[in-house]
Amino acid sequence: MKEISELILPEDIRYTEDHEWARQEGDTVRVGISDYAQDQLGDIVFVELPAVGDSFNKGDEFGTVESVKTVSELYMPLSGEVVAINEELADHPEYVNTDPYGKGWMIEIKPSALDEWDSLLDKDAYLKGLEE
Amino acid sequence: MAPFGGYEMPLWYSSAKDEHLCVLTNAGLFDTSHMAAITIEGADASSLLQKCFSKDLKQCVGPLKKPLTSGLCTYGVFLNEAGHVIDDAILYKFEEKRYLCVVNAGMGEKISRHLQTHATSLSVQIRDLTDQVGKMDLQGPKSGKILQKALRNPDTVFEGMRYFSFKGTWDGTGVPSGQEVTLQDGTSILLSRSGYTGEFGFEIFCEPERTESVWNLLLEIGKEEGVIPCGLAARDSLRAGAVLPLSHQDIGGWPFLRNPWIFALPYNKNQTGFTKDFVGGESLLAIHDADYTLPFIGKDPRKVSVSENTRVLDPTDTPIGNVLTCVTDMGIGKTGEKIYSVASPDKPKDFVPKGLSCGFVKVTKALKEGDTIKLSDGRRRIPVTITYDIRPDRTARVPIRSML
Repeated sequence: MKEISELILPEDIRYTEDHEWARQEGDTVRVGISDYAQDQLGDIVFVELPAVGDSFNKGDEFGTVESVKTVSELYMPLSGEVVAINEELADHPEYVNTDPYGKGWMIEIKPSALDEWDSLLDKDAYLKGLEE
Repeated sequence: MAPFGGYEMPLWYSSAKDEHLCVLTNAGLFDTSHMAAITIEGADASSLLQKCFSKDLKQCVGPLKKPLTSGLCTYGVFLNEAGHVIDDAILYKFEEKRYLCVVNAGMGEKISRHLQTHATSLSVQIRDLTDQVGKMDLQGPKSGKILQKALRNPDTVFEGMRYFSFKGTWDGTGVPSGQEVTLQDGTSILLSRSGYTGEFGFEIFCEPERTESVWNLLLEIGKEEGVIPCGLAARDSLRAGAVLPLSHQDIGGWPFLRNPWIFALPYNKNQTGFTKDFVGGESLLAIHDADYTLPFIGKDPRKVSVSENTRVLDPTDTPIGNVLTCVTDMGIGKTGEKIYSVASPDKPKDFVPKGLSCGFVKVTKALKEGDTIKLSDGRRRIPVTITYDIRPDRTARVPIRSML
């Protein structure tokens, strides 16, 4: 597994303590799991995503990510409605490992409480949490 | 890295999925030095083992139940008086007065003491070789080709080497001249056609100081065949797909009955009793209401987390038992109604295995092949099907001459 210094942690996105990432894309926010999470989980073999139209609150479980050894829950970084899901993951769950911030994106949401964005961790705060 | 039986071991070296698949298509090398070995020697060695080991050494080899002879090994269990499993093991016969018994990590002392307890007034010496033997498993269809290059005398070694037989020894003693098994670098090894993956392959025993050099030699020589080192995750998913039990998880503190491995018991021809007396035998014959341990297979790779809250539900959602093992066999997938492995000779063109969850359940009902149940861990419920076999087209028993 990777050392902390080897992890990819883009500057322009925010993170949660549960290792999801969130990136603003105009009106919507794209969500996935961080490089740390995919590295720890190992090979992802199945991703369970919600349906377009489902609504959740911040912190709700919105899906699961399955590795060879375990199942891990996915938690909403922000409250909102699911407006898109990454259908490619059905045939290519490995995108989560190979490109967690790009082709491995999971859902796109329309946030319902924009002030929640400030409670997300920036890269330095997330990194600090990993180092502890 | 993860703790396992008192050792720190890698879950994977590169990727659990790649390692699992590599064993099915090429070869994988597993560091199994954590397993414990015990020697049982003396005039009463056979008597002690007949008393404590589940197989009847006089009638346990092949469908004709031939006796265990020199150079053969056999799988069995050590039971306590109640008929519960203390540990499972492979027993190797060097000669009537000398055996080697390989048990699980950390179990050397316990099994040695168990044997010692039953050895009073018997002429036998039991030696616990924990941490005194190096061991690694080379498993997969290309493993024979790799060893052909790694051995000094491959033709002699592989001549007539049947499944569950062995040749040589690691400290060079007690091997008749011409019967040694030596690697290109001079290392003496015990080579056995056995393993824990269900695939064609070998277990290799060497002196502990030679372990690293043997490991490196095999990985180097086997590069052309695509061998890679494999960790605990692939070991677990491969053995589950091969319907092999994990000691203290799939077999353990309950009667060793009504499970896929009762071939380890010395049943007589019409299964009305045993062909010998042995520790635990009497209890087993008196039990008529044991749980059923059954293999299952899922519809996709999704699993449940196994904990004390995990339940097996019947079609009416009534809890009927618990889950012992639940992993994903990454080498298999379903096309239509049939399950194929990446190694299946008749697999459809462009078949890519997506993986299927599989494992064992322990239930109070006598379910049969094809019955559907649900596994529930409190978070998720997955439908699975009872099956007698999981990964198809396994290669463990293929005659060695067709694998070279």
